[in-house]
Formats: sequence, structure tokens, C-alpha cells
Amino acid sequence: MRLSVAAAISHGRMYRQLGLGPRSRLDMLRNMVTALVRHERIEAPWARADEMRGYAERLIEYAKLGDTNERAMRMANFWLTEKDLIHKLFKVLAPRFQPYPGSYTRLLQIPNRDSLDRAKMAVIELKGNPYPPLIRPQRNTEKTLLNQLLKGYREDMQRAATP
Amino acid sequence: LVGLVLSPLPRLRGLLQRCWGQLERGLLPGFSGSQSPPWGPALALQGPAFLPEPVRDSRENNEGPSLLDSIMWMAAPKKRRTIEVNRCRRRNPNKLIKVKTNIDTCPECGNLKQKHVLCGYCYAKVKAETRLIRMEMGKKEGGPFNAPTVETVVLYDGEKPTEKDEGKRIIERARKRPSWFVQN
Repeated sequence: MRLSVAAAISHGRMYRQLGLGPRSRLDMLRNMVTALVRHERIEAPWARADEMRGYAERLIEYAKLGDTNERAMRMANFWLTEKDLIHKLFKVLAPRFQPYPGSYTRLLQIPNRDSLDRAKMAVIELKGNPYPPLIRPQRNTEKTLLNQLLKGYREDMQRAATP
Repeated sequence: LVGLVLSPLPRLRGLLQRCWGQLERGLLPGFSGSQSPPWGPALALQGPAFLPEPVRDSRENNEGPSLLDSIMWMAAPKKRRTIEVNRCRRRNPNKLIKVKTNIDTCPECGNLKQKHVLCGYCYAKVKAETRLIRMEMGKKEGGPFNAPTVETVVLYDGEKPTEKDEGKRIIERARKRPSWFVQN
């Protein structure tokens, strides 16, 4: 029967240790969720953004239950420190994400921070935000006329080279 | 040199002994002359259990040998490491910097980027534009804590809101639409 845990083993631990302690970690995540709901795209250290992503998506799932739901309102009241964002959450974000079953956020890594710590940074955004897109979707150019003609020409050359 | 640095204890004891001697000579001149003390009844204080004085002579004799003794049990290299051995250690693959094979060129701007990271130049462009859009939004909202309860759409020069943008808040940007911001 294991009565104590070895110091450096953390098998199965789901949550990262951030900030000064558990309370500080929750406060920090709460500030970040509030910022994400307000600005819809924020830049943060990758570990904090990754940790915050789950909490943000669960908050949106609670918001989808509707603002008449008592539990949803209490969750939103706790997690959003600026109270005008509760209105935005229930009136803008919940209808926006109603058709989708999950994954309301996008997390992308950006080049390391310019200061001395060179921290691994990420940008996390809510899908459907009004800003310019971070990644341009690459159009498949295989079926364009020019590429099909060039492909035919290449195959003809190969057939002529190896009879 | 190492022994001098790592054995401060005899030095400390010497210092303490000298301080104690000065204290006795300075504050209690009556005692040094082996006369009765000029003070009246004194409080009984808790002093050190044993005075360092009787130990002084024996410590003075041991001062020298303890330094050499401490040098005897410190680790030191026996022989000079040859340049061949040094080269083997310094050029071992685990000490060399690893070559990164995950660097590519961005298809949009042609700058270098890591495969799993966004292009720095393109992200800086998008960040500057979002900052300008947010300034316009700030001007429209007026003050802090005025988040709108409707969606937002950004329109550039000469663009009209379509039927999709029915109940949305319009943000005007006074420039031509950039090629990388596709309207949808």
C-alpha cells in the first residue's frame, strides 16, 4: 500500500501547477477566460493558454444551456469577472456556437516571446471572430487547368524517356 | 586554496576568542586586576556552558595541521587531461547542437518558419490589423465595460453590409481590404 508519493513523479495528473498556488491558478485562469470572452483572441504563454482552453469550452457549453438555467448563470458569474460579458456570453457566443458539438477555440503556437525568457507563446481565439484569419486555408491547386496540362506533359515526357 | 576557503570554523573560533578577550579586558577592568568587582549584586545570567579560553592553546597548535589535513581529503585530478581525451568529451554528439529539420518557408511571404509554428511576419501583420480594428471598436463603444450584445463585422472602403450582416455591429476601417482578409 503506497502511503507516500515519490517527489518527482506526476503520473496521471491532469492539471498543471501555475502561479503561486491552487487559488492563484484559478484566479489567473479566470482572468484569462474573461479576457478571451472580451477580446476573442489573446496571446499568452502556451501552457496557460492550453490550461485555459478546457475551462473556456466548458463555460460555453454551460452557456448553451440558456441563461434561465441557474447553474449556467452561477458558472458564468464566477468565471467572468466583468459582468457585462455575461450578457455577451449568453446573447452572442451561445447562439454562435449552437450548431457545433465542441471545439469552439483554436490554439496556435507563435514564435517565442522577444524578452529574456524566450517563453513558448500561443494565440488562442474563439472561432467565428470578426478579425482577420490567422491561417489562410490552402486551396487545392491540383485540378486547375494549367496544372492538369503540365501533369499530362510531364507524363508524356516520362513515357517517351522510358519506352 | 580550497582548504582555506572550506574550513572557516577555526577562523571563526579565533575571531570569537579575540572578541571575548577584548570584552573581558574592556568591560571588566576590575576582573583583570583580580580584585573584587566594583559593582553591587548582579543578576545571574545564562552564560556559555564552557568558556573557549582553556581550549585556546590546544586550538592554536592544531591551527596549522587542520588546514593540511583538510587538503588531504579533497578531490583533485591526478593527471592532466590530454587534448585527445578533451576532444572526445567536447565533441561527443550529445554535447553538439542538434540540427533542426523542421524549418520551412512560409508560402505567403517566403520568410522562414518552423513547421508547427505560425509565420512571424504574417502573424505580425495580422496582429497590427487586429489592433487597429480594436481601436475602432473602442471608439464605437465609448468607455470600458461596454461589450456589445450583438455580433461584429468589419467592413473596408466601399463595402456595403450584406443580408448576412443584418443585426450586426458594423466596424468601418478606412482602407482598402487587404488580400489576406477574405470577406465571408
